[in-house]
Amino acid sequence: MPQTLYEKYGGFKTISRIVMTFYEMALDSDQIGDYFADVDMPRLIDHQTKFISSLMGGPASFSDDRLEAVHRALGISHADFDEMAALLSEALADHGVGATDVGLVLEAIEGKRGIIVARSAA
Amino acid sequence: MSLAAINEQLLRAIGVGVAVVRASDLTFVFHNQPFAEWFGTPGPGATLPEVMEALDPEELGQQQGEGLRYSAELQIKLKRRTLVFAVNISSADQPEEQLLVVECQNITRMRELESMIDSYSTMVERNTRELEREKERVERLLLNLMPRSVYEEFKTFGVVTPQLYPQISVVMLDFVDFTDFAARTDPTITLGELNDIFTAFDRIVEQYGCERIKTIGDAYLAVAGMPEPTPDHATAVAHCATRFLRYLERRNESHQHTWRARIGLGTGAAVGSVVGIQKYVYDVFGPAVNLASRLQVFAKPMHIVAPETMKAALSEEFHVSDIGPTEIKGLGAVDLVSVGSELSAPQAARRY
Repeated sequence: MPQTLYEKYGGFKTISRIVMTFYEMALDSDQIGDYFADVDMPRLIDHQTKFISSLMGGPASFSDDRLEAVHRALGISHADFDEMAALLSEALADHGVGATDVGLVLEAIEGKRGIIVARSAA
Repeated sequence: MSLAAINEQLLRAIGVGVAVVRASDLTFVFHNQPFAEWFGTPGPGATLPEVMEALDPEELGQQQGEGLRYSAELQIKLKRRTLVFAVNISSADQPEEQLLVVECQNITRMRELESMIDSYSTMVERNTRELEREKERVERLLLNLMPRSVYEEFKTFGVVTPQLYPQISVVMLDFVDFTDFAARTDPTITLGELNDIFTAFDRIVEQYGCERIKTIGDAYLAVAGMPEPTPDHATAVAHCATRFLRYLERRNESHQHTWRARIGLGTGAAVGSVVGIQKYVYDVFGPAVNLASRLQVFAKPMHIVAPETMKAALSEEFHVSDIGPTEIKGLGAVDLVSVGSELSAPQAARRY
């Protein structure tokens, strides 16, 4: 089996740091922070932990249906999505993920654009 | 610098939010920088419950009356982020007036990490359960391919040592005119019927403590006395054989297709082992197996043939009649017997 990014970067001990950094960045961001403001902290962390783990090929199952259900009502725009991708790539780079691998994760996220961004925001 | 000055310096510098309020009206005497960052700078005349809105003044009042320490966990939102504080309030009796010391520890990160651990352990536990199920599935599959004791050996050592069993018995069944039947019947139906019958045989075999080794097309091979040795291996296979026939008789009465079988029994030595490295097959080899497969050919449809050497063991429980010496390919002249119904069987079907 090919090694996943999750394994390559040392498993959960690195992922947890990436999640923590991303969590702070996302809340601080004036572009997307407000989406998270009213979410219960444990739920938000749970969501982001699973999301980032599954993007990196870790032990999470985050189905597209679930992802869509969580974001459907939020009316997320393409600009929001781009900001999220930018913050995540920054968080990844901060924790030593190589540029090529950051590219891979961004590609994986790009694949989810259609289900995260609200349809009316096309 | 006086001790009081050092203390004040310390209170300002530490990362814990500290405030001192008057017990009488809860107005502020002192607060340090972290306290102001989290709860805002108390204005003149502001009281503790006004500044820390999450604090329950009633609860505080009760505790205060009893002169006890008050502890609570408070959550506030500071620029979208949920901050969690462990708040401790204790009274400090001064000669001039009673004061309350409010201590706020920022335990946000701790709570965040706890949430993350919860999330991670849920993921891992679910994965572990999935792996466990997968392992059980593989184990069940392997147990279909080999006896449990052999599987245990295989699991522990990665190999199975071929083992010689000096005394075992074999039952070999083959259907009459199967090739014809298969040629004129839809393969799905043939297979469905065969599957049905072999499944019934498997249950019979299990009931008598025998072990199904394999099916080869329409032939069915089971053994008794291996891998667990049993003294009554001969009668065990004979019981299976008679039950196989009885099952087929019953089935033929109510089904469209008639299945007729010949059965040969054999006894003697055999070797059992897993054959193959990539494609495991547990198989048996040896004279007992050869004997059963040769004798099966000599059986009339719906009859059981066994070597004379098994007569002594079988005649106590079965109707056994002599067939006499018969020339068998590769084995020379062998004395054969025909095995009939069980002696104790209530509905003794006449087969000979």
